[in-house]
Amino acid sequence: MAERNFLDLSLLLAKQGPGGKEQRVSVRLLVGTTKGGFWLTSRDRREWKVTGPFFKGWKVTAGLRLSDGRFLAAVASDIYGPAVYATADGRASPDLDSWEQVAEGPAYPEGGDRRLQQIWTLKENRGTLYGGVQEAGLFASADGGRTWVPVPGLNDHETRGGWMPGAGGLCCHALLFSDDPDRMWCGISAVGVFRTDDGGATWVPRNAGVSIVLEDQEHKGIGTCVHGLAQDPSNPNRLYRQDHSGMYRSTDGGDFWERNEDGLPTAFGFPIVIDAGGSALFAVPQESDEHRVPAGGALRVFRSTDRGDSWHSASAGLPSANAWGTVLRGAMCVDDLEPAGVYMGTTSGTMHASSDLGDSWTNLPVTFPRILHVSAWSQ
Amino acid sequence: MPSVTIALPALLEPVTGGVRELSASGETLRDVFGNLVRREPRLKPHLFDESGRLREHVLCFHNGVNTRWLDGWDGPVAEGDTVLFMQAVSGG
Repeated sequence: MAERNFLDLSLLLAKQGPGGKEQRVSVRLLVGTTKGGFWLTSRDRREWKVTGPFFKGWKVTAGLRLSDGRFLAAVASDIYGPAVYATADGRASPDLDSWEQVAEGPAYPEGGDRRLQQIWTLKENRGTLYGGVQEAGLFASADGGRTWVPVPGLNDHETRGGWMPGAGGLCCHALLFSDDPDRMWCGISAVGVFRTDDGGATWVPRNAGVSIVLEDQEHKGIGTCVHGLAQDPSNPNRLYRQDHSGMYRSTDGGDFWERNEDGLPTAFGFPIVIDAGGSALFAVPQESDEHRVPAGGALRVFRSTDRGDSWHSASAGLPSANAWGTVLRGAMCVDDLEPAGVYMGTTSGTMHASSDLGDSWTNLPVTFPRILHVSAWSQ
Repeated sequence: MPSVTIALPALLEPVTGGVRELSASGETLRDVFGNLVRREPRLKPHLFDESGRLREHVLCFHNGVNTRWLDGWDGPVAEGDTVLFMQAVSGG
């Protein structure tokens, strides 16, 4: 990867900086696949430079750029298990050739029954890092990812005996935060959404209104299967949920969910993302929970610009025939530019990018392994 | 104390910074494994699971003998012995 100075160049994209001052920026995508990670970088969101693979042979399952400038990447192997890696320093242009495995990464206790199989998501909030993992659980780091501790209030939840895996495993894959520092949400498949209002000490299932897909005989309030979560950036209690059983939203922090599927060809899918301005939601419907392919072999994105009241196809430029790869829950994201860029990768290894909030799409000239994760940063 | 040569698979190069061959000492295989992960603690979760056993799909050979065929890890090792870790392969 001979582009470590890329971020130092004078670039063409622009975004509003502090005081409304225009800043020159570039966009960097991390594409995590079953066989390694790839960087895609662009100065104009039209032409992309590809570098990689790094962690060749490993699944790259999550990525995060920390507030100190370092990158974290979660990797996993069906043979050798998971790990978290970090770039070496926090300079403006971190050395992306220099990754070091975190020595004390997320880990379940030795001698216990739980097995750490994969890290599905990495997030940072108020200086604390969080990792959602499979087998389902949550870990936190207060030292920039160098050491991690479990969050027992969730990991040892009283309903845990009733937690059942979805097709992707029993995994904690979605984390959302609030302007209230004690409030946080997590999504676990196939269990549901949990919310804490006391800084993670205790968690309560918040799934009222959502159809149950795997009812537990003893523990009620779980057995839903959240696939993806999104949050209105202007109102953290306005939540959007792509669930196994359909598309939902909540205006009260998850106390109650209502369906909002008007205009969707099917209500089944995995990712749901929202742009930084909160003006548009994006989802990728699939034919059904049994088939899990784009309906009719047409890769289509649906967009809502009215907070989920209605959905409309925003698929101009995407393959309209013979496209049978679909988009996994972690494989779609937005950047923070205006208008927002939207990016997604498919299980067939194709990458698709929009630089105009989904009005039009470009099919990038790459064919990666199966794509698990896509994240974007501007700088 | 005997020193044993340990060979690692290519996929673990990121864990060890590119090193594929290490040495560790011990009177038994258990000692050798313990000293190996003390020296390279990042290897531990990739070779052994939370129960302390080899990960399900990791193979380990002591002087060419699959350690799963041995009666535990408490047999002696000798100077110059080899330990090979590799991933289980079944079919193409």
